[in-house]
Amino acid sequence: MTELRLEGVSKYYGRGGETAENGSVTDNETGTGSETETATSAGTAALQNVDLTVRDGEFFTLVGPSGCGKTTTLRTIAGFEAPSEGTVSFDGESVADVPPEDRDVGVVFQSYGLFPHMTVAENVGYGLQFREPPNGASADDRVAELLDLVDLAGMDDRTPDQLSGGQQQRVALARALAPAPDLLLLDEPMSALDARLRESLRRQLTRIQSRLGITTVYVTHDQEEALALSDRLAVMADGRLEQVGTPREIYHEPATRFVAEFVGDNNVFDGTVRGHDGERAQVDVGGATLAVAGVPPDASRVSFCVRAAALSRDAAHNRIDVALETSEFRGESVRAYGEWNDAPIVVRLDRVRRDGECTVGFDPTDAHVLEVQ
Amino acid sequence: MSLDARLSIDRDRASAWLEHHALPVAALATAAVLVVMLYFPVGIVFSEAFLEDGIPTLGHFTDVLTDPFYFGVLADVFAEPLALGTHLGSLAAWLGAVSISLTVEYPIPGVGIPVPWIGLDTPGVRQGLFGFTAYQAALSTLASVAIGLPAAYILANYEFYGRRTLRSLTILPFVLPGIMVAVGFYAMFGQAGTLNTLLGAVGLGPFAFVETNPLAIVVLAHAFYNAPLVARLTVAAWESVDARTVETARSLGASERRAFRDVVVPQLAPAVLTGALMTFIFTFMTFPIVLALGGLQLATVEVWIYDRIQRLDYAEAATLAILETVLSLGLTYAYLRYESAQAGLARAPSPPPKERLLPDLRTALSPRRLAVFGYGLVALVLFVGPMASLVVGSFTDGSGFTLRNYAFLLERQLEGASFQTQPLPAIRNSLLFGVATLLVAVPMGVVVSMVTVRAGRTGRLVDTLAMLPLAVSGVVFGIGLLQGLVFGISLPGGWRFQVTGAVAIVVAHAVAAYPFVTRNVSPVLGSLDPAMVESARALGASRARALLDIELPLVASAIVAGAAFAFAISIGEFSSTVILASGGEHYTMPVAVERYLGRRSGPAIAMGTLLLVVTAASFVVIDRVGGRYER
Repeated sequence: MTELRLEGVSKYYGRGGETAENGSVTDNETGTGSETETATSAGTAALQNVDLTVRDGEFFTLVGPSGCGKTTTLRTIAGFEAPSEGTVSFDGESVADVPPEDRDVGVVFQSYGLFPHMTVAENVGYGLQFREPPNGASADDRVAELLDLVDLAGMDDRTPDQLSGGQQQRVALARALAPAPDLLLLDEPMSALDARLRESLRRQLTRIQSRLGITTVYVTHDQEEALALSDRLAVMADGRLEQVGTPREIYHEPATRFVAEFVGDNNVFDGTVRGHDGERAQVDVGGATLAVAGVPPDASRVSFCVRAAALSRDAAHNRIDVALETSEFRGESVRAYGEWNDAPIVVRLDRVRRDGECTVGFDPTDAHVLEVQ
Repeated sequence: MSLDARLSIDRDRASAWLEHHALPVAALATAAVLVVMLYFPVGIVFSEAFLEDGIPTLGHFTDVLTDPFYFGVLADVFAEPLALGTHLGSLAAWLGAVSISLTVEYPIPGVGIPVPWIGLDTPGVRQGLFGFTAYQAALSTLASVAIGLPAAYILANYEFYGRRTLRSLTILPFVLPGIMVAVGFYAMFGQAGTLNTLLGAVGLGPFAFVETNPLAIVVLAHAFYNAPLVARLTVAAWESVDARTVETARSLGASERRAFRDVVVPQLAPAVLTGALMTFIFTFMTFPIVLALGGLQLATVEVWIYDRIQRLDYAEAATLAILETVLSLGLTYAYLRYESAQAGLARAPSPPPKERLLPDLRTALSPRRLAVFGYGLVALVLFVGPMASLVVGSFTDGSGFTLRNYAFLLERQLEGASFQTQPLPAIRNSLLFGVATLLVAVPMGVVVSMVTVRAGRTGRLVDTLAMLPLAVSGVVFGIGLLQGLVFGISLPGGWRFQVTGAVAIVVAHAVAAYPFVTRNVSPVLGSLDPAMVESARALGASRARALLDIELPLVASAIVAGAAFAFAISIGEFSSTVILASGGEHYTMPVAVERYLGRRSGPAIAMGTLLLVVTAASFVVIDRVGGRYER
């Protein structure tokens, strides 16, 4: 089993005028915010100074919008891309000179990459030509064991084109796991599947991962999936790490405006601090005064976020009148979108009125401060 | 450690190194072959043109460029490029003398069928050799497009029995030996040809078609080659037009005709243009057809270069070759640019629907259907006629059935002197060279595909460099090989690098053939999901092993198709073979055909028929093995 470490990993494509600027990476796990120098050049830097550690046996997710560098990070770990700067190490040893075939990683790609001219059994057994099956098992036994693990026993002689999308995905997983790799890398393995199937495969994946205890790096653009699956996750944007932490930390304490907006259902407000009233700051947001907890005493301007679910009709403080425009029925609640003071607002209510007017408030302690000046 | 153990470790290390570096090694080997066997010989030709007794000079070029024999009226312009006023003045005078007239002509001699003819009466212009070459290429291009477009229309819009086979067959003329096609046309249109026999049966003729209008026959023969190419490219574009786009235009208010003009035509135009451009390039560099049907009286640049070589005037040949190559390279570059822009051309999600050609008798008599059948008849005569005439002609003379032509070949085989051209060695050489070419060209082509498909921008450069054989004519390449490798190069230390006889011919064939392997393999290789190779590598396979296990099995059918091309190109190659085999015993069937072409055409027609049989047989074999001619 393996601990994976990336130190100062950057990747540039082509040559561009690279200028140094300050980027901030906060690792909530250690509680230290570290200021690091990152290089940036519009469009040419795929990764900028990525530092992260994936612990032995951990399910770690890289999440971010398309083009944020999460797949490049995964490919750098697998050895398909060489970092321009920085090192990747497995258990403390740099793998810079190790070609992909000798890294002992299992990879499942978005498109699965099944070999169409081989049967399911031949696909799963392919890696066993190069690496001994674990525990002295024969290759055939190992293939059968893996097919059993992913609930595809008896499918040995099918060819990939005879399988459904979900089955193909499980064959790809079995194939990656067959040689008992030190590390499992998954690149958006669910994105080609429909929602219902995705959920059942998700459960199966976490079951298999925790049973094998294999260190896993999972790449997705779906923040819900990332929060649901991971022990810890990293949110990426523009080739940088925005925040690393447990799902709970990322959800409740977003470190940056980007994380707050990306991890969903947050209302972000920008305002000027007018004064402090004990623990609470009086913040002027577009002419209205809102009470916010947790603002440092010396701050003059502040950005903070409030979760949609924290906006409630019953709250006594910070009452705002929202002009609702659209709403979506979500079963247990209705998610409604509207405007207040020219700022977009999302709320989650049990029901909305026809005329679209709605007054909600939030408790000062439900506001989470993102940036201060 | 014992020596044995050390050696075995070294061996293991060496094989591991080789496995990890197999691709770069193969790429370097291919590059080395190309440098020695392609770039070096072509470079020799070029240096010949720029050197006079070892001193660099542009004299050869000024000589050629200012010689009215080569460049006609343009020679004056090249001679005094700055005298713009004079040149414009003579152009204006010439334009003023052009007149257009409408006359009635009787194009078929002795038959009173009047045809209205728009006469463009131009005062004589001296075209020169290059001008004439371009003129016949332009005529051939027009004819090819005119004959190819209706075929494309029919193949893309109607469903009928044998349509798919017919579509596949459009690739066939492209790989038929040029000299065989020329002899086929001779067998059809010649004094004793099948056409005259047919006309004789109704009391007409005989007419000397080839003698009175050799240019028309040459243009038809070029159309035989290139109209299927135009049709093929256009059909591919037509079938990739998404029917939904046409339906969208219709629902937005466009009439059927208008939707065709606004939606379909713009998507066809690039393909037609490509077809026309390629036809122009090919017919500009035409050689065996003109040599066999026109001779020196219809000399194109290529034929003239061949003639200069025969007279050992290498400097002039080389200068002409460079000018020709520069022209065709420019056009090829334009084509490659276009092709890369068209790379996104994929099969449409919903291809246009096809109508049944013959749903019932009533529809069959509609004007549009009758036009289709009329065209079919013309196409049948043009495409099947020459090949059928070849076979028929080999068994007949002016008076009826005869085996005299084959008896001549047999007699030559049994009793001919060793310096005479015999049929069996020709057949044996053709088959041997074909197999050897395949063995060399297929690995080369696959390696070039590998490098170009995966290497991004550098790949495109490699692609362009590796496609040079398509733009350099066989005759140029032949002289280069002759002068560079057959005559030999002195190396320091008293060594001599020399490639002669059969090896030189196989090299020439392989270099001409591998681009076709690459063209077949690259699209398939490029469409493979990169995740497959990466999965294999993550599972422990080296790059070379992944190539062997994953990519090669998946592109196998494209490789077989490429191999079929390589073999066919070798069997039919004439231009460089005729130079390299001159005076030797390494002549192939096409060369034998040309040598038999004399006062009596019978033996050449019989030899051409044997070539047809061998070519057809190899296609059947390759088809059985699992090849497909489709891209």
